[in-house]
Formats: sequence, structure tokens, C-alpha cells
Amino acid sequence: MLRNRRIEGLMALALISPFLAIYGLVFVYPTIKMFMLSFTDAPLIGAGDWVGLENYERLPRDRRFHTSLWNTFYFIVLTVIPGTLIALAIALGVSRLKGWLQSFVLALFFLPYILPVSVVYLIWDWTLNFQFGIAMHLLDWLGLDRVPVTKSTDWFMPAIGVVTIWWTAGFSILLLLAARRAIPVEIYEAASLDNSGGWSTFSRITWPLMWPVTALVLTIQLILQMKIFDQVYLFSQGGRPNDNMVLVYYVFQRAFQSNQGGRAAAVAVVLFFIVIVVSVMNFQLTRLSRGRDK
Amino acid sequence: MSSAAIAEETVVWWDFLGGGDGVRMKQMISDFNAAHEGEITIDATTLEWGVPFYSKVQTSVAVGEAPDIMTYHASRIPLAVEQGVLQEITADDMSKMGLNKSDYADATYDAVSIDGKQYAVPIDTHPIVLYYNKDLLAAAGMLTEDGRPKGMDSREAFTATLKALKDNGVQFPLGSVTADGNFMFRTIYSLMGQQDGELMTDGEFLAGDNAAKLENALSVLQEWTNEGLQSTYTDYPATVALFTSGEAAMMINGVWEVPTMADAYSNGTLFEWGAVELPVIFDHPSTYADSHTFAIPANQGGETSDAKHAAVLEVISWISKNSLFWATAGHIPAYGPVTASAEYQAMEPNATYSSLTANMIFDPKTPLAGVAGPIFDVMSSYFVPTLNGEMSPAEAVEEIKYELNDM
Repeated sequence: MLRNRRIEGLMALALISPFLAIYGLVFVYPTIKMFMLSFTDAPLIGAGDWVGLENYERLPRDRRFHTSLWNTFYFIVLTVIPGTLIALAIALGVSRLKGWLQSFVLALFFLPYILPVSVVYLIWDWTLNFQFGIAMHLLDWLGLDRVPVTKSTDWFMPAIGVVTIWWTAGFSILLLLAARRAIPVEIYEAASLDNSGGWSTFSRITWPLMWPVTALVLTIQLILQMKIFDQVYLFSQGGRPNDNMVLVYYVFQRAFQSNQGGRAAAVAVVLFFIVIVVSVMNFQLTRLSRGRDK
Repeated sequence: MSSAAIAEETVVWWDFLGGGDGVRMKQMISDFNAAHEGEITIDATTLEWGVPFYSKVQTSVAVGEAPDIMTYHASRIPLAVEQGVLQEITADDMSKMGLNKSDYADATYDAVSIDGKQYAVPIDTHPIVLYYNKDLLAAAGMLTEDGRPKGMDSREAFTATLKALKDNGVQFPLGSVTADGNFMFRTIYSLMGQQDGELMTDGEFLAGDNAAKLENALSVLQEWTNEGLQSTYTDYPATVALFTSGEAAMMINGVWEVPTMADAYSNGTLFEWGAVELPVIFDHPSTYADSHTFAIPANQGGETSDAKHAAVLEVISWISKNSLFWATAGHIPAYGPVTASAEYQAMEPNATYSSLTANMIFDPKTPLAGVAGPIFDVMSSYFVPTLNGEMSPAEAVEEIKYELNDM
């Protein structure tokens, strides 16, 4: 018996070993390398000299680092919870539709998600264009002043937030709709027999039963938005990149534009820990709330 | 050609020429291949301009997979030399190509040399120029006898020209790429050059009165914005659109837009237009220029055969000597004998603005400079708010100075 166990264990290990090898090569090794690089003054490619903590000591004085840190958190606040709540509302709305209409509306909301980011950028950049954008003509028509959305610091992050929610909501909607459909209809029948109102049905049945999936959506969104790069990179091109800086963009800029691999690695290490800490906190919170339902 | 078996050399070529000039370069490549049938074939790939191109070059050189020849911006050469991605172009190479230092403008030749060593062969210079709509200027009485804009010799006179256009019902007398600080760097740097200002002296940014000169440059542009003489928050494509649709009477843009105008004009969809050297706002004429060059990657781990090296030199030599066609892309050929030729002198508006070759200034020689480089990004972030009246020039200069010196 015991030998069979061991053989099974070895079999399992053998089966996942190709994956482990690739994982080690493309993730574990570069991560270790990143930590080592962050203590040197290496350029993008090639070796550098050991400088100890110098790259880290510069961060508190580094204005662009502050901007990128602030913007990254601001962006999370703007997108994660609002985006998930919007997706939840849409999913519940769609779940009340029937037949082809449901598929049609769902497809409509899912469509942006399958667009590449460059297409998203083109659509919105022209929509918001200060001279020619349809959004600006709308403002004219309403008698309001035009706003240089992607070229101003106040409007940039909220605008990118809206675009991002529009772009990524489709996936969340799909997950949440599946969760809603998984709730047995008998429960709702029992609730209506007990004369449960709309709000109490939602808060006592729908919400708690959908919570595990909602928590998953929140987690996915959180990690995704912490690592935001493409939208900011595209929309701020030529505009005010350093005012709209986010952490991943800053790593990219230090590495590929300033040719400072060591300093880029230091920022990447900070980002690495932020993602881990926030993710762990998030798991704790969502698990705690799940514990409450027992 | 004798029928002796000569091994045909394939020259792998990378460029970043994606616009109208890319079309012309592809034409030149196929002409080259036709002229060298059985001897040399260029195998060309066009990559994305800017950061993607330069990152790819650097990584490919490091792993020994670089092309045999590539286009390179002169402004990026200081960084390239620091990274060790370029082979030196020796005096021997130059003589094999039949090219002389005296065939090039001093400023251009200097831009491809670091510490007395040459790292690239300039193919062109592409400065910025002032495009203008002759019909609108004439209607406002602002066109000279020989069809040029009036008021090109001082700040007051040029501002007066803009005001006259405004009074005559032109919505945007000057179309500027005010939403794109990267682009405006070229204009602002030109205006600094008109005061003999320098961005970097002895490794320090904006030292001494250079800061004041930058502030002057920003003040002029902000004044035009505040007076409603310049388009605000306009990105690159919108600027071109404002000009071609007649909403902007003049536009400061790169010479690479010449083919756009020429094509539209020959289709009968564009007004009478012209392009001239930038107005003299300060002390003397000065225009920012960059240069497209040919460079040979310093491929790691692979020795190039002599035959291959000779083929690469032949490519550079042939394209340089035949760069008259390249001038149709708007760029000013760097090779002197081409611009001195009667054919080039008959090309308009190219021949008119090529006079600015004498007044060209290039990027400061630092690894931080160059298109899509860090200096561009830092300055850009302060140019946009300043040009659109959100920030005072003095404040912008102070911030820029701090950030540049902190890099």
C-alpha cells in the first residue's frame, strides 16, 4: 500500500515536472535575478557594480516614484470596487432577461473585453479628442466647457478608470452571471412564499450566495489593476507621462528609456511586495467574510 | 557580371520608417536590389518607431541576433555608444564607401560622432519647419510679394501676423501640437537655440542663464495661447487635420509632413501652401533637427565576414548617393552633392527650407537625450500644462531643472 502511495506521489511529480521546470525558468529565476539586480547599478543589459541599498534610498526622494505610487492606488480605488459593483448590477439585470435577448445583451457587454487594448485606445482617444471628439461636441451642446481629458492631470486617471471598467467589465459580468444562475430557483420560491421583499431577497439570499464568486472577481480585478500599464502607456503618450505615471510604467521607463536596470529592479521589488501584501490582505478579508456566513 | 560563382550576400536590414517615408525607403530598397542582382540582396523589416525599436536593437545585439544594418536616430547615438551597441565607422570604411567628411554639414557630422569617433553615416536631417496656407495669409494681407509669410524676423512682427490672421476670422492662426510635449520639445529647443541657450553644459542641466532662456521660450508660446492665437490641447494628428482643413493658417511640424501636403495638393484637395524656416523670435535663426542615420550593430559573438562588411558598406554608399529620391519624403538629404544638385534645387518647398541647414542644432550629447528618451518625457510633462496656460513658465522651468538634474 505504502509503496503504491509513493509511486503515485512520484508519478504526480513526474507529471507536473515540465511545468515546474518552465515555471522556475520564466518566473522563479527572473524574480531572484530582479532582487539581485536591485542592489546594483546595472544598465538594462549587462552587469553592474554592487551599490547596496542606494537604489532604495533614492526612492523616498524620487518624485516620479511618489506619483506612480499614488496613481496606482488611486486607480485601484477608482476601478476595483466600483467596477465590480457595476458588473454585479449588470449581471443581475441580465439574469432577468429571457432567451435570445439575454444572449444579445450579454454579448453587447462582453464585446469590449475581447478588443485589444490598442483598439480600445483608438476608440476612446478619438471620442475624447479635444478638437474633434464626439464627447466634446456633446459638451458644447450641453453648453459646458471642453475638457482636455487625456491631457490633464485631474481628469486623466478617472477617465482611464472609466475606460478600463468599460473594457474589462465583460469578464466579471460573465462570472457573476454564472454565479447568479447557480443559485437554485427553489430558494427564491421559498422566499417569495415568505413574502420576502426585493431588498431582503437580495441582501439575505443573492448577495451571500454570490459572495464567493464576487470575492474572486474582486481579487482578480485587484491584481489586474495594480499592474496596470497598457492603458496609461498608450493614453499618456506624448501628453504628460510623468504626471500619469503608474508603478509598472515607471519600471518600464527606468529600464527601457533611461537604461537603468538596477533602479528599475528596485521599483519592481517594491511593486512585488505591494502586490503580495495587498493580495494577502484581500484573501484574509474575503475569507473572514465567508466565515461569517457559516 | 561574369558567370563565376560569386556568393550572393544577403544584408539584413531593420528600420523604423512607418510613414510616407517608409514607402519611399521600400522603393529605394527594391531599386537597390534590382541594381545589385546576383550580388547583394537587402532583406528589410520595418519595426515600430521609438522605444520598441531601440529596446529590440539592444537586446538583439546582446544575444548576437542583430541585423547587418539599421536606421538610427543621431540623437540616440550617445546612449547607443554607452550601451555598446554600435560599431565604429572607420576612416577606412568611409573611403571604401567613397564618402568624405566634407560632404556633410558640420553639425550633422558632429551629431554622429562621440569623442572623435564616428558611429553612423547620416542619411538625412529632418528639422521642423513652418507650414503656411497661402490663401489665408493673402486674405489677411500677410503674404509677401514672393509668397512668404510676413513678420518672420521678430517676436513682435510674428505675433502681429498671427493677430492679423485672427482679426481676419481665422480660428487658429497657429496650429501647434500643444497636447504633445514630446513634439513641442523640438519647437522649444529651437527657440532656446535662437538665444544660444543650451540644455546641458558640463553635465548639468539648465545651468546659469539657460534656465531663463527656456523660460523665455515657454513664455512666447504661452502668450500665443493666452491671446487665442494658437490651438490648445491639440495632439499630433489633430494638428495636421486643423491645418489641412484650413482651420489653422500656419503649423509648426516636421518636414516629414511635406509628402502629405504635396500628395493632397496634387489631388486637388489642398490649398496653395508653402513651408519655410521657423520665424526668428529671438536673436538669430536656429532650428532643432535630428538625423536619420545608418549604423552597424556591434553584434556580440559573431565576426562579420569581409564580404558581408563590404556589402553593408555598399548599401550605405548607394543609398546615400541616391538619396535625391529620399528628399521627396521631405527630409533634407545629408549628403552634400545631392542637395547641391540642380534636381534638388528645383524641388519645392524643399529647396526653400533647406537653407536652414546652416542653422541646425541637435540634441545635447547625453545618453538621456534622444527621441523617446527620458529627457523628452520629463520636459513633456511640464510643457503641456505650460503651453495650455495651466502653469507659469517660471514654475515649469524650476520643476524641469529639478527633475533633469535628479536623473
